[in-house]
Amino acid sequence: MIRRVVFAGLLCLGVTAALGWAVLERPMPVENLPERVASAMPESGVEHPITAVLLNFRSYDTLLEIAVLLLAVVVALALREAQPDRPEQMGLDNPLLRAVMAWLLPLMLIVAGFLLWAGAYQPGGAFQAGSVLAAAGVLLRLAGVSAGWLDNAVLVRAGLALGLLTFLGIGMLVMLAGVPFLTYPAAHAGTLILVIELTLTLSIGLTLLSLFRLNPPYADDPDDSRTQEAPKP
Amino acid sequence: MIGLWSLPLLFALPLALGILSLLAVPAWRPRLIFVGLPLMAAASLDMLAGLVISGPQVYRLGDWIAPLGINLVADGLAVGMILITTLVTGLCALYARVYLRDHPPSTSFFWPLLWFLWTGMNGIWLAEDIFNLYVGLEVMGLAAVGMVALRATPPALAAAMRYLLAALLGSLAYLLGVALLYGAYGTLSMAGLQEAAAANATTQVALALIIVGLLLKTALFPLHAWLPPAHGGALTPVSALLSALVIKASFYILLRIWLVLGPEVTPDFTAGLLGVLGAGAVFYGGWMAWRQHHLKQLVAYSTVAQIGYLFLFFPLVTNTGPEAARLAWDGTLMMLFSHALAKAALFLSAGNLILAVGSPQISHLIGISRFRPMSLFSFGLAGVSLMGLPPSGGFTGKWLLLHSALLSGQWWWLIVLFLGGLLSAAYIFKVFRMSFREGPQIDRSVTPPLTLDMIALLLAASAILIGLTAHVPLHWLRVGMVFGAV
Repeated sequence: MIRRVVFAGLLCLGVTAALGWAVLERPMPVENLPERVASAMPESGVEHPITAVLLNFRSYDTLLEIAVLLLAVVVALALREAQPDRPEQMGLDNPLLRAVMAWLLPLMLIVAGFLLWAGAYQPGGAFQAGSVLAAAGVLLRLAGVSAGWLDNAVLVRAGLALGLLTFLGIGMLVMLAGVPFLTYPAAHAGTLILVIELTLTLSIGLTLLSLFRLNPPYADDPDDSRTQEAPKP
Repeated sequence: MIGLWSLPLLFALPLALGILSLLAVPAWRPRLIFVGLPLMAAASLDMLAGLVISGPQVYRLGDWIAPLGINLVADGLAVGMILITTLVTGLCALYARVYLRDHPPSTSFFWPLLWFLWTGMNGIWLAEDIFNLYVGLEVMGLAAVGMVALRATPPALAAAMRYLLAALLGSLAYLLGVALLYGAYGTLSMAGLQEAAAANATTQVALALIIVGLLLKTALFPLHAWLPPAHGGALTPVSALLSALVIKASFYILLRIWLVLGPEVTPDFTAGLLGVLGAGAVFYGGWMAWRQHHLKQLVAYSTVAQIGYLFLFFPLVTNTGPEAARLAWDGTLMMLFSHALAKAALFLSAGNLILAVGSPQISHLIGISRFRPMSLFSFGLAGVSLMGLPPSGGFTGKWLLLHSALLSGQWWWLIVLFLGGLLSAAYIFKVFRMSFREGPQIDRSVTPPLTLDMIALLLAASAILIGLTAHVPLHWLRVGMVFGAV
């Protein structure tokens, strides 16, 4: 045990030293990418370079990253269905949380909306807005507020898929004009990016919330008899 | 212009079908393959036609030029990987449609995961951007982990968790390397890096991180410990997909990055070290395969061994003559393609044998040769390719590697090729010895559906066939690569 710890410690030290050395010895980049981004900004449809890179110049990477998020929920759904009992109500018996939520919820919704809108010209965007939405959902659940539509599997799955489907659909639709995948026409780039971001915000929020809701409440308790009842294939 | 629609379809179509199969009711999920498989086959064949008619193509996503945007490249190697992926995944999907009928309904999540896996793999084959490769690895890796976890038994979940941690560690090491390269050269495009990269400390540390990360994901000895439980314990079509294709993806990235940066920036011993680890994998994997008592564990350790041969590529291609390098390239790709076909066949026929006797133990196969000759025949045919006996793809690959080793004066790799073949023979014949032993005269085995046997047989026969017609795929695989000039 001690030997393993020492070994792991030395390995970490070695990697850290190598990384430090690599960063210090770094040559000056020949390629000036920020300059290229700046010169392409007028055609991007947005004013903030990060949003332009994420949703226009390198939108294909973002598309696949959204697929990774959806994939995580698919795996969680599969494992949840394999363990048949439903998650328990996770409401904490805390009247204070309920009272605070009445104040917090409208604020969180406004912040999410603002973050989404701000992404066009300053740091912000779908990921940040979606996380705030998800946080609001998690707090609501902890406060014991039940939202009936979140138990409707069809509705939830449609919401999860909405963002990725819209993104993919727009990417394919623009190809009808004879241009490559995800080439937004310059005149409509801003609108299309806003539609994509809006649907992505909803789906990302729902994705993060679903990962929380699908977590079985007794998963880490080996003494719980229900952990042993995994169905045999 | 040919690839204008078919190239994006290769990743957009499986992505769309993945989402649709998530929304569909469980009974409809398998049926989507009847829409998806013909379309995927058509798009893949169109890519081949494009390669034959107009050579390698560059596809600019969003019409932005790299390094600002992301380019995709369809050269001979990429198109070859797309075709083998379509063939193996398509057949595994048809197999799974029948195989999963007797499994609990939660296994119908296999279908969305399968389409996402396909998206990730095609994304990797086409990528030209080192960060885009990372995203592709994540899509493919997470889908693969989900597939291993599908059984939802405690051992399956433990194997999936171990696989997840290994895959994440590998991805993070890779990503760290990518970040260093981007910081040093300001570009993520491989073509740009090839021009700009020089042998300095940053590039070397970055490349070391990338290589170690990818070795972990490829499960090269001694980083293989996650593979046997994950591949051996999964549902049969999942095992076949993971062993045939998924581990090839990280090797493919390593191969591409090595050709772009490797020989110029790495110290001389690196290529030799990769070859030595490959040799270690061949011996250790073969030995461990022979010692297994569970049929699918045996096949999984055989994968550990077969990965080793692919790594002989590095010493044989680095600082050797152009002719030896071309032979090494041809031989390695032949090994890769024939292993993809043979290992898928071996896992599927092993699954059929397990269905027949109702037990994963090799010792329970006694007397099965009398009652299930078809399943055993596919197993043997795939085994012929793994052992490297003529006229299989495995033989052609080893023959080319052998010539390359002789030409570059590295005779010691011949020992690996020869002893590795003997070890493969030992573990394949271990299964055969048991099946041909006289057992009970009454057929107590269950007859698996004919489709399952036919699919395994088709894959095994392809592994033999590819050896007979090796010059055709090898010619097209060289298109767009440095080896094409010879």
